[in-house]
Amino acid sequence: MLWYKSWLETRWRFLIGLGLLSIVACGAVFDYEAVLKLMPLANQLDSAIDTSTTLGKIIKRGVAVQSTYRGFIWWQWVKQNLTQMWVLFAALLGSGGLIATSGAGALFTLSLPASRARVIGVRAATVLAELLALAVVPSLVIPLLSPAIGQSYSLVDTLVHSVCLFVAGSMFFSLAFLLSTVFSDLWRPLLITCAIAVCAAVAEGVLMRDVPFGMVRLMTGERYFLGDGVPWLGLLASAAVSASLLYAATRNIARMDF
Amino acid sequence: MADRVDGAVALAIDAADLHKHYGSVEALCGLSLQVAPGSIHGFLGKNGAGKTTTIKVLLGMARQTSGHARVFGLPADAPDASVEIRRRTAFVSDDKDLYDYMTVAEIIRFTAAFFPQWRVDLEQHYLRTFELPPDRRIKALSRGMRTKLTLLLALCRRAELLILDEPTSGLDPAVTEELMQTLVSHVASEAMTVFFSSHQISEVDQIADAITIIDRGRAVVSGSLDDLRQQYRRIQLVFDNDAPDAAFSSPGVVRTRRSGRILTVLSSAGAERILDESRALNPISTDVVPVTLKEIFLESVAAED
Repeated sequence: MLWYKSWLETRWRFLIGLGLLSIVACGAVFDYEAVLKLMPLANQLDSAIDTSTTLGKIIKRGVAVQSTYRGFIWWQWVKQNLTQMWVLFAALLGSGGLIATSGAGALFTLSLPASRARVIGVRAATVLAELLALAVVPSLVIPLLSPAIGQSYSLVDTLVHSVCLFVAGSMFFSLAFLLSTVFSDLWRPLLITCAIAVCAAVAEGVLMRDVPFGMVRLMTGERYFLGDGVPWLGLLASAAVSASLLYAATRNIARMDF
Repeated sequence: MADRVDGAVALAIDAADLHKHYGSVEALCGLSLQVAPGSIHGFLGKNGAGKTTTIKVLLGMARQTSGHARVFGLPADAPDASVEIRRRTAFVSDDKDLYDYMTVAEIIRFTAAFFPQWRVDLEQHYLRTFELPPDRRIKALSRGMRTKLTLLLALCRRAELLILDEPTSGLDPAVTEELMQTLVSHVASEAMTVFFSSHQISEVDQIADAITIIDRGRAVVSGSLDDLRQQYRRIQLVFDNDAPDAAFSSPGVVRTRRSGRILTVLSSAGAERILDESRALNPISTDVVPVTLKEIFLESVAAED
C-alpha cells in the first residue's frame, strides 16, 4: 500500500508532465513542415554565418543537423523540449516526501510497521517508474505521428534516447530527493536542483564545448545520434551517482529525529 | 502471549535513565518509566515536559542520547525491533496529522493493509458510531472527526499497546467524553495496554489505573493511582502565632508551605511519622486529609520549580 500512497502523492505532477510533454511532442512533429519550407532560406544564409563566433558555430551546426527529419527531431525534441521539461519534472517529482510538513502525515507513516528505508525506497521507486514513463511515452508519439506528415522515425532511436535521458537525468531526481530529506518544503529542493541543472547546462554549452562528454550530451544521447553507439560508460557512471545520492537520502532519513 | 525478558514477564514499556538532547535543549534528563502489561497508564506533565519526546523515543521516531527504552522487551532504538514494536502498537498523535489527500475509506484501506489481523467488524462499528463519512477527504474533516478517525485506525488493528499523545487536545467536552467512553469500553473488551499522555488531569483520573508525572524530562511521581491516593496526605498544622519555618527529617515530605499561622505539609508517604515529628512544634491543631490527583500533580510539578 506504500506504492498506492506514493502514487496518490505524485500522480498530479506526473499526469501534468505526461500531458504537457505529449502535446509538445505532437507540436514537434507538425512543426517540421514549416521548418522544411524555411530550409532553402536557411541554406542561402548558411554562407553568411560568421563561424568565428560561438553563436555562429551553434547556428551553423543547428541548421546542418536539422536538414534531416531525424536531425530535426533530435535537435528540437530530444535536445531541447524533452530534456528541459523532463529535468524540470524530475526535480518536481523528487521534491517533497516524508519530512514535508502539514498534511503529509509524517508521524502517522512513521508509526506504521514499515522501516524508513522501505518507506522512502518505495517512494523513490514509484517516482523513477513515473520518470521512465515521462521519458518513453511522449517520445513514442514521434514514431506514431510521423507517418501523418509523410516522414518516419525509428522506434529504436526513440527508445535509446529515452533511456539515455532517463538514466542520466535521474541524477537530478536523486539530487532533489536527497535535498528533500534536508528541507521540509517542496520549493527549496526544486529550485536548488533546477539551478544546478541550468548551471551545468550553461557550463557545458559555453565552457566545455570541445569536451566530448558532459551531462547534457549524455542525457540527449548525442554520441548515439552521431553514430558512435550507446554511451554505456557514461550511463553507468550516472546510475552510480544516482544510486549514491539515493543511498545518502536513505541514510539521512534513517538517522533523523522526527 | 506475554513477552519475557530473562524469564520474567516483560513490562509493556520499560525505560531507564533516558536522556534526549536536541542541540543544547535537554528534552529528557534521566527519565525512568515502567508500564505494566494490561494497565491504563496516564502520563501527566505540563506542556514541554517531555511527554511527546518520550513517546517518539518509544516508537523509534527519535533516538535517545543515552539510557535505554524497551517496549515488549524489545529495544526501541534498534530499527528491526522498532518495526516489530510498531506492528504491535497503535499510536494516536497529538496533531492527528493524516494524509489530507485521502478519503476516510482510502486511509482505512491503506492502514488495514499493514495489519493482517485488522478487525473489519470493529471498523464498521466505529464508522457508524463516529458517523464518519467514508467518501469525505480527510482535509475536509473537522478536528473532532479527525480524532475519531485516528482512534478508529488505532483500535481496529488489534494492537497490544495503544499509545495516545494528548488524544483530546482541542476537542469540545462532548467529543472528549464520547472518545473517553469509547476508549474505556474498548479496553474493557480487549486485552491491551494503554499509555496516554495528557495534561487534562480529569481524563487521567477518570480512566487510568497507574500514572507517571513527568517534569522537565524526568519522572517525579510514579505508581498506581490507588496507592498514590492512599499514600499522599496533606497535613495541616495551626499555631498560636506565625507558623515556624520547620525542616522535617522524616522521609516523604514533598513540600511545606507557611501561610500566617498555618503550616501545610504535603507527604507522599509516612504521614504518621511526619505528624509525630510535627508535634514537637506544638501546633494547637493538626489535620490530615487525603489529596486529589490534581493536587498531587500541581504540588509535584511546583516542588520542582
